[in-house]
Amino acid sequence: MRGRPGMGEHGQVSPRRRLRVLLGLAVLAYGAGVALLLVIAAQGAVPGTGAALLLAFVGMPPAILLGLLVAWRRPGSPVGPALVALTAAPALTSGLEQWGATYGTPHPLPAAHLGAFLAGGVWVFNLAGFVLLCLVFPTGFPPGRFWRAVPLAFLGAAALVIVIIGLDPMNLALDVAAGVVFLAALGSSVAALVVRYRRGDDLTRVQLRWLMLGAGSVPVLLLAGWLAEFAGAPVDVAYVGFLGAMVFVVPATVAIAILRHDLLDVDRLLNESVSWLITSLVSAAVFALVVLGVAQLSTTANERIGITAAAFVTALALLPVHRRVHRLVGRVLDRERTVMIATMQEFVRKVRDGQAQPEEVQDALRLSLGDPALLVLLRRPGADGYVDLSGSVVDAPPGELIPLVARDSEVGALVLGKSTARRRRRAREVAVEARLPIEVSRLRVELRRALGEAQSSRSRLVEAVADERRRLERDLHDGAQQRILAVGMRLRSVQRTLPAGGATHAELDAAVNALEATVAELRRLAHGIRPSRLDEGLDAAIHDLVRDCPIPVDLRVERAEVSEVAATTAYFVVAECLANALKHAGANRVGVTVARAGAGLSVLVADDGRGGAREGFGLTALRDRVTALGGRLDIVSPLGAGTTVRAEV
Amino acid sequence: MRVVVAEDSVLFREGLTRLLSEEGHEIIAAVGDAEALIAAVRAGRPDLIIVDVRMPPQMTDDGARVARQLRAEHPTLPILLLSQHIVTQHAVELVSTGAFGYLLKDRVLRVDDFLDAVRRVGAGGSALDPAIVGALVSPARDDDPLKPLTSREREVLALVAEGWSNAAISTRLVVAERTVETHMRAIFQKLDLFDSDDTHRRVLAVLAYLTR
Repeated sequence: MRGRPGMGEHGQVSPRRRLRVLLGLAVLAYGAGVALLLVIAAQGAVPGTGAALLLAFVGMPPAILLGLLVAWRRPGSPVGPALVALTAAPALTSGLEQWGATYGTPHPLPAAHLGAFLAGGVWVFNLAGFVLLCLVFPTGFPPGRFWRAVPLAFLGAAALVIVIIGLDPMNLALDVAAGVVFLAALGSSVAALVVRYRRGDDLTRVQLRWLMLGAGSVPVLLLAGWLAEFAGAPVDVAYVGFLGAMVFVVPATVAIAILRHDLLDVDRLLNESVSWLITSLVSAAVFALVVLGVAQLSTTANERIGITAAAFVTALALLPVHRRVHRLVGRVLDRERTVMIATMQEFVRKVRDGQAQPEEVQDALRLSLGDPALLVLLRRPGADGYVDLSGSVVDAPPGELIPLVARDSEVGALVLGKSTARRRRRAREVAVEARLPIEVSRLRVELRRALGEAQSSRSRLVEAVADERRRLERDLHDGAQQRILAVGMRLRSVQRTLPAGGATHAELDAAVNALEATVAELRRLAHGIRPSRLDEGLDAAIHDLVRDCPIPVDLRVERAEVSEVAATTAYFVVAECLANALKHAGANRVGVTVARAGAGLSVLVADDGRGGAREGFGLTALRDRVTALGGRLDIVSPLGAGTTVRAEV
Repeated sequence: MRVVVAEDSVLFREGLTRLLSEEGHEIIAAVGDAEALIAAVRAGRPDLIIVDVRMPPQMTDDGARVARQLRAEHPTLPILLLSQHIVTQHAVELVSTGAFGYLLKDRVLRVDDFLDAVRRVGAGGSALDPAIVGALVSPARDDDPLKPLTSREREVLALVAEGWSNAAISTRLVVAERTVETHMRAIFQKLDLFDSDDTHRRVLAVLAYLTR
């Protein structure tokens, strides 16, 4: 307020100035009411003034202070003045009523007959501040001329009620007419709340819910007051609850909504209190109906049977009724939450029916919570830290984590893009619904990781085997063969010193021939383990293969620098397929093509044989070798139309 | 002949040295790796070097690569490569320059043939292992320049490629030497080789055979 200029222009009264005037009037009304009560209490002529004064002095100041606090903290908001008015109206009303009450006493106040005229209907002004608050909360009047007319209509209706009651309290028709007009004005102010709630954004709705929580108690307690008065309770006592709600509860909830919304679990509080209220009413109705019904059915049945039966039926009905009411109230009052849960349940159903992937749970959560920056993090079983839905490790999770817990262990966490207490609570609720897809995603991430690990260990194994074969081949060539040859040469040297034709000479000759055969055998062995020609490149090795092939081979080999294990595998694919073409297919011609494909090789062997190849031991072993390296092997072999084997290594 | 032996397996090297010494050759150096071979050749001016293809330092085809390098430095230096298994890289290039042999190590056990090959290479001729000739020859193609040759002529040419003389070939095929000469003339004619120098013509014919 201070230091901030009014917002009016062209000489109009600025909204802030108007608010200050309103605030001043409200405080003045409170002061006037209290002053009247003080004067009357000093005379001590009217009973009940003490109680009214107690309320005004002890009960009201907190509410007045709250209103002033709101007006100070939110100077641009009409809520502060409306709050003060909310409490000031009962204070002034009470003062006027007591003023009127002095009319019949020995010491009437000046113009007490006017006060007596007013006192009959002035109670309606109790609600003036309440109506104003409903209209302007939390951001001023709703747009449109209609809403600005509502306070005037209320004043008019109130004046009408006062005049009618003052002139002729017993005229029922007029009373009812005035009551209807008054109720219409009151209903309009409530309608303002509803309209605003429907159009409002997230924050407005939260704040409105606070007001509804407090305001809801006012009519209920008013009703309770009427019942109590009807039952014969003194007026002072009967309306204490109603006044208390208006003076304490409403201001308190409004202040909280304005200053520190989201402080408490207001949604659920509201939902629970309303649904319990309705449940209680329904239970009471059931109870009454059963008592009445029993009485009607049997005139001999005494009262106790009726009450017992009613208690029994009511107890049975209580919980199911409450469940239904709770759901219904939730749908009406907390539509947003209902829609949110329904969206998630729909997604879970789709996942179950195979129409959606569980990994889409992040998108589903974003959609249902209206938070496009939301992240789902998963915790891998037996590992620290988090991974995202694709399995990549998330080093430093951004923002605040909402842990997702299943069976006492954390399965993951949510990170919200927009984090408020309300959103966190909502997220927890939806996460409970999304437990299945989250858990499935987590297991699938783990499965993919384990599969990847198996794949890589398998290809490491194949590489190790290739290295081992290479080493074995070298050892055979460089070790065993050379030694045998050296021994053979020594034998030859000895042999040459002996005369030809002797028995020893011939014996040595046979021994050396046996050694020669052994070396040839070792070479074949080494070749089977790993063809040495691979040292010169895959093309040289495949040329060797094709040269030994008795049928024509159309060979196209592209030179490519590939790993040892890829070259060896490609070599064995060609070797196995050529052997099959010869042995099983009875082919007349074979085409062999080896080409670069990305970082690896593509091998194609096609024959014109009889086809119908079945995957026996040879092809299966081949497929294992190829897939272990992350490659693939396709065999097309229709009967009578040749066999084509294509491998990507 | 003054011979340098380069072979990393000590046992094999000693056996070879002994065999050659007994035959009357002078082993001026017996070394175990490529570097030492180069040094020995530069120092000793040998009449023949016998080189293992797979040698330190890299244990791949170091011997063959050093042989090429030495051939460039000493164009007439006879070279006999030995190998545990067939490696054809570098071989064709060396064949074309003559005074070159390439044998599988097993052949040393056929001592007479081996020593004959040593003599041939030392004298500027050639000696190719049949297995290596087989590995060098490409599979049959439609545009084969050897297509006009009869199968007998091919047989003769293969033996020429192995380095045999006409006399040796006639012994092997059990025919008269004149028959071999007739085959050779036919081969030269069909391959359009009209060079006067007979040795050179034989090399060209072999190259045509190996590199078709």
